Amino acid sequence: MRALLRIPFAPLFLVLALFVIAAATISVSAVKQEAPSLAALGAPPIPSDNPQSVDENGFPLSDDPKVELGKMLYFENRLSGDASVSCADCHSDEFGFSDGQDLCLAYQGTGNWRNCPTVVNSAYQDQLFWDGRSDRLEDQAKGAATSAVEGHGHPDMMEERLRQIPEYVDRFEKVFGTEWPEGDDIWRAISAFERTIIQPDTPFDRFMRGDQTALTDDAKAGMGLFLGKAACIQCHTGPLLSDQQFHNVGVPDNSKLATDPLIQITFRFQQFGRGVPPEIYDVVKSDLGLYLGTKQPEDMGKFRTAPLRYLKYSMPYMHNGSFFTLEEVVDFYNDGGGTNDFEALAGSSTRSDLLKPLGLTDEEKRQLVAFLESTSGEEIKIERPVLPEYDVFATPANSGN
Amino acid sequence: MSLPSISVRSGLGIAPTLLLVPFFTLLLDGCTPQPQVDQDALVELGTYLFFDNRLSGDASISCATCHDPDHAWADGTALSQTYPAADGFRNSKSLLNVSQRSNYYWDGGPAGASVANVTAEMIGGKLFLNLNDRLLTERLKQIPAYVDLFEQSLAEIPSYEGAIRALEAFQNTLTTQGSTPMGETAQRGSAVFESNCASCHSGEGYTDGLPHAMRVPENPDITADPLRHTAFRLYLKDHNVPDHMSLREDPGHLAQTGDERHRAAFITPDLRQVADTAPYMHNGIFDTLDDVVAFYSDGGMDLSLEESSDLIAFLESLSGTIPHIEEPEMPPYEVSQNWAEVSN
Repeated sequence: MRALLRIPFAPLFLVLALFVIAAATISVSAVKQEAPSLAALGAPPIPSDNPQSVDENGFPLSDDPKVELGKMLYFENRLSGDASVSCADCHSDEFGFSDGQDLCLAYQGTGNWRNCPTVVNSAYQDQLFWDGRSDRLEDQAKGAATSAVEGHGHPDMMEERLRQIPEYVDRFEKVFGTEWPEGDDIWRAISAFERTIIQPDTPFDRFMRGDQTALTDDAKAGMGLFLGKAACIQCHTGPLLSDQQFHNVGVPDNSKLATDPLIQITFRFQQFGRGVPPEIYDVVKSDLGLYLGTKQPEDMGKFRTAPLRYLKYSMPYMHNGSFFTLEEVVDFYNDGGGTNDFEALAGSSTRSDLLKPLGLTDEEKRQLVAFLESTSGEEIKIERPVLPEYDVFATPANSGN
Repeated sequence: MSLPSISVRSGLGIAPTLLLVPFFTLLLDGCTPQPQVDQDALVELGTYLFFDNRLSGDASISCATCHDPDHAWADGTALSQTYPAADGFRNSKSLLNVSQRSNYYWDGGPAGASVANVTAEMIGGKLFLNLNDRLLTERLKQIPAYVDLFEQSLAEIPSYEGAIRALEAFQNTLTTQGSTPMGETAQRGSAVFESNCASCHSGEGYTDGLPHAMRVPENPDITADPLRHTAFRLYLKDHNVPDHMSLREDPGHLAQTGDERHRAAFITPDLRQVADTAPYMHNGIFDTLDDVVAFYSDGGMDLSLEESSDLIAFLESLSGTIPHIEEPEMPPYEVSQNWAEVSN
């Protein structure tokens, strides 16, 4: 309690912070009527149509055969069009299950236009991809693996290649009960593996569960700022520290958009591929975000609120990797966010009116960063599985004669 | 913009324009008046596109990979390659005189095929160049030299349809000239051909355009190589061949019609330039014309050694001069200047 008394924020928030210890949640009625709150992370939801084994607390077990198969497929280059890339290339444990690039690595001969989100804790998300075009991991995995600028895999081709690999034929049969590997089961297995890539044991989570010593004084002070002066809690709520909604905060365009031909190609390809009307396709120069799915002008430039977890390992940040450090992110919000000009296209500004200059001192910025680092926990490392070879002799076509 | 010059010796003159008319009508339906097409610029554009790896999904292969000018516009191998990470199960057909053909695939392909829609299938097919049509368009728009050539040839910005037209125009220039004068042996061979081969290899192109099951031996590489077998089974699955998971033999035209009478039947190939396009048959199982003639002789023609060599001399005499085209230097992608201001 002595530590808490030193936290330099307004008495109102000191009182509220005490609730953290009592109830492991914080209500900030001053900010929003719905009382946005923070919470520790529990067990991830498991969809009923893709069951997997869990421990007594509901956490997925990594020795489930479905998870083991999914892990192999996660590393399996042969799911991509020319067998050159796998999920693990852009979502590598070397880079916090992302790829360390501002704009994600791309399929050969193409460029990518967005930052690669971490897989860690994606099991909890209701919205996947920066524009939220998937609502579950099974769909996200397929989307990335088949995109012409990411995996460029064709589902029938993937299925056929796996059918030429006896060990996969056996494993799919054991896990899914099918004679041959079936396309949609690829995504089920990969998603089951991804549901084991979670980090619910962080200083923040331990603090929220009642361990007052789990956070440093700086982190506690930062948490107070997060809830109060910095008002991050307006959007970064709940156990994921994300409202899983979409906001335009005016993140600047990535400069590569103006300098890299492959990224310019992909930019236009994405507009067209997502069905952007010609009059907008012709003139748009900035990522339309949520609009690409909804086609509602008010959604232009809005992106999914990033979960603020595992940040220590998954830089850079924002939908286009504009910021490589948390200090830059905090500076960006301290300045009241950025501007972009969707006003002409949308008819009115789509920028969030929640953003205001924060007037944080250097010490407060440092404290806020300390809090943001407290939600990461230990770095997750995984062992690369041994992948099986093609073996033609085991296929029925060659077992006769 | 200065481009390396390409020398294309077209023997067709005005003919390609006439051949293109039905396809143009389809493409430009409702879009009148039709702009004047600069045929030379269209062929030049098509020449570049034919050799351009950026027409494949991962920018690794082009039309010329399997239709190589150094191999009489086929690829000189028994079984052609596919998009990377699979491999082929049929022999690559030469593009020579393709404009005069009505069949383009060994198994007959889909009904109503044309040079234009076969080209489209080769670009988009997952076993071939495997490139999304819109990604193709956006790539072409990123190459200023192509923007200029589209403007010059079709008075439009780069488009997928325009690229197909250019590739078709280019392929229509791949015609052979004349034939080799027949010596005495070839003349004797002509008689052997007439009495033994001409019922199927009939007409000007030496083909009846019909499917025939000739009991050509299977190429064992197709099932022995997982990458080829992958492509083979995928193709059969895509064509709803019922026993595709266990079938060892190429079902040929049956894949197109579903008709059991077409099992293992293949379309009679054109024989012009046959001497230049080894290996032979739908699966490249024979390396030489001697092998092919021996196969038919053993299968019932029962030719003497002299008749066989005369027949081969005749087949060799069918070859004319092959158009020679240098692979052009590819114009690069360039960053869009004034990105923020220009129209996409």
